[in-house]
Amino acid sequence: MVTAYLLLAPAVLLLVVVLAYPVGWEAWISLTNLSPLNDGGAVFVGLDNYRRLAGDADFWRAAVVTVAFAALTTLAKLALGVAFALLLARPFRGRALVFLAVFLPWAYPASVSVIGWYWTLSPPIPTAYSAFMGHLKISVDHALGTGAWSFLAVTLFNIWRGSSFIGVFLLAGINAVPPELFECALLECRSAWRRFWLVTVPLLRPFLALAVFLSLTTAFADLANVWLLTAGRVVFPVIGTHAYWLAIKAGEFGAASALSLVLVPFLLAVLALLFKAFDPPDEARA
Amino acid sequence: MAQVLMKDLNKKYDEVHAVKDVNLHIRDKEFVVLVGPSGCGKSTTLRMVAGLEEITAGEIAIGDRVVNDLPPKDRDIAMVFQNYALYPHMTVYDNMAFGLKMRKFAKAEIQKRVGEAAEILGIHDLLKRKPRQLSGGQRQRVAVGRAIVRHPQVFLFDEPLSNLDAKLRVQMRVELKRLHDRLETTAIYVTHDQVEAMTLGDRVVVMKDGWIQQVGEPLELYTKPANRFVAGFIGSPAMNFADVTIQGSDGTMTAQGTGLKVGIPPSMAGRLAPYKGQRVTLGIRPEDLHIAAGADQAPYVFDAVVDVVEPLGSEILLDVKAGPNSLVARVEPSVRLKVHDGVRLAVNPERLHFFDSTSEKAI
Repeated sequence: MVTAYLLLAPAVLLLVVVLAYPVGWEAWISLTNLSPLNDGGAVFVGLDNYRRLAGDADFWRAAVVTVAFAALTTLAKLALGVAFALLLARPFRGRALVFLAVFLPWAYPASVSVIGWYWTLSPPIPTAYSAFMGHLKISVDHALGTGAWSFLAVTLFNIWRGSSFIGVFLLAGINAVPPELFECALLECRSAWRRFWLVTVPLLRPFLALAVFLSLTTAFADLANVWLLTAGRVVFPVIGTHAYWLAIKAGEFGAASALSLVLVPFLLAVLALLFKAFDPPDEARA
Repeated sequence: MAQVLMKDLNKKYDEVHAVKDVNLHIRDKEFVVLVGPSGCGKSTTLRMVAGLEEITAGEIAIGDRVVNDLPPKDRDIAMVFQNYALYPHMTVYDNMAFGLKMRKFAKAEIQKRVGEAAEILGIHDLLKRKPRQLSGGQRQRVAVGRAIVRHPQVFLFDEPLSNLDAKLRVQMRVELKRLHDRLETTAIYVTHDQVEAMTLGDRVVVMKDGWIQQVGEPLELYTKPANRFVAGFIGSPAMNFADVTIQGSDGTMTAQGTGLKVGIPPSMAGRLAPYKGQRVTLGIRPEDLHIAAGADQAPYVFDAVVDVVEPLGSEILLDVKAGPNSLVARVEPSVRLKVHDGVRLAVNPERLHFFDSTSEKAI
């Protein structure tokens, strides 16, 4: 018994140091007024920071944008990823090249992908194309409100890069399913659409759930790409950028901590649901 | 109920010619087994009948319909796969009902048919379970059940017993045979196991390298193999082969090999006369070799040395050396012999086999 705990100790220690302590510290800070701008140490303020958020229009805007961003990108990535995977699952001439083309956006370093995307949308050299893109940006922002173009750019970038990853991920999933299961469906049902919904989707359910899981977590935490693409000029806030501004630029550590923690319960609930889907207990028992 | 007709059937992949000029007429209600080593084209042939592989050339007809361009679903066949191919996310009932639901059968009819099939296969208690909660044998029963609820014109079996352990395989073999007697549906069954082929098939088709080697009833394949491959493939332990030269005049012909000399009975002399002085392959089944006794005539007796003794209880397999030739003899369990003992063996002369050395065809 003692030996078992001793053997577990290094792993537990690691988790405490890199996970439990920072999260606990952040949770504590969110209940204080800690700021480098204040004299003295942190003063406990209870739920004040959270109360302030509830009445803050900027927060609600950032929260809505974040959820919309996560939901939109996840849905699109899933649809495109499934299409890529199904396309690549069957043999055809030039399959290797298509595979490469699909996987490349993901395999490239983020900085290179981001710069490529950035220059595609706002070309550095003045040409007819750059003029066109400039007009497009203005008309989109005009039609949908300032920041809409940036939101679109970041969303499309996330979809472009992420669907490539999810496609390859789901392809691995399809390859893990015995081909007889698909063949058997072929013997019973001619409509490819029905076969897809009745057989392919349920068989891939664990993989789909994991894909959504990964997509959501990265979308919620996708501060870097937003930052890189908009060059720090955050014209539409997501929770991540908003918290960053509060903490680093405004020095309000307490409020920033509260802000970054506020979506965690919601995210955990979604993840718990997904976890059930990709690890169904009734099948694991057998 | 339907016959299946394959005419000049061919399947070519980029570099492999998997099935070559297969012509086969499977009669209504017949149970035909395709057997051969892996890569012989048996599964590809079956999959072409199912519609899972495109036909490169030739024609397949089920009943009176040519099905070449018919999608699998419309061919009125049901297939049982080696790894069961049950949907893990559906219960046993839903798995069995799937094909009927897809064909929009009424709920009552589906219930009736699934109930009947479950009764026949003894899986009534399992209907609410998921496949993962079943043993291998139960899963294969469900897979068979899923096929029979459809009342198809033809059953296709693709190595359905290969994933089961030896004991269960024998048991399911018997059940499948009983099932076929009861349902009387045309069936095509693919296996690499010659025992399954012999026990299940009304007729057996032996294939190798994409060619049909021989089509016949099980005993016919056993007693009159068309060539050396069939002779060696059917039967366990396999037939003994030895290179011999045909010698002597019409009255007293012998097959003479190194360390082995066997007389040729008058009944075979006519057939072997053209091969006089030539090398042929002699084939002797293990049960056609026995310890020589007084009744055995001198020309059909030869000396050998015991190499390995394999007692099986009901019989002993005697591995012997006659010169450089390794032979297996199936002898009485009462025989007491040790390794390196000398032994006189006699052949059953009327059951010798001879094969042309180049064409390998039976003489």
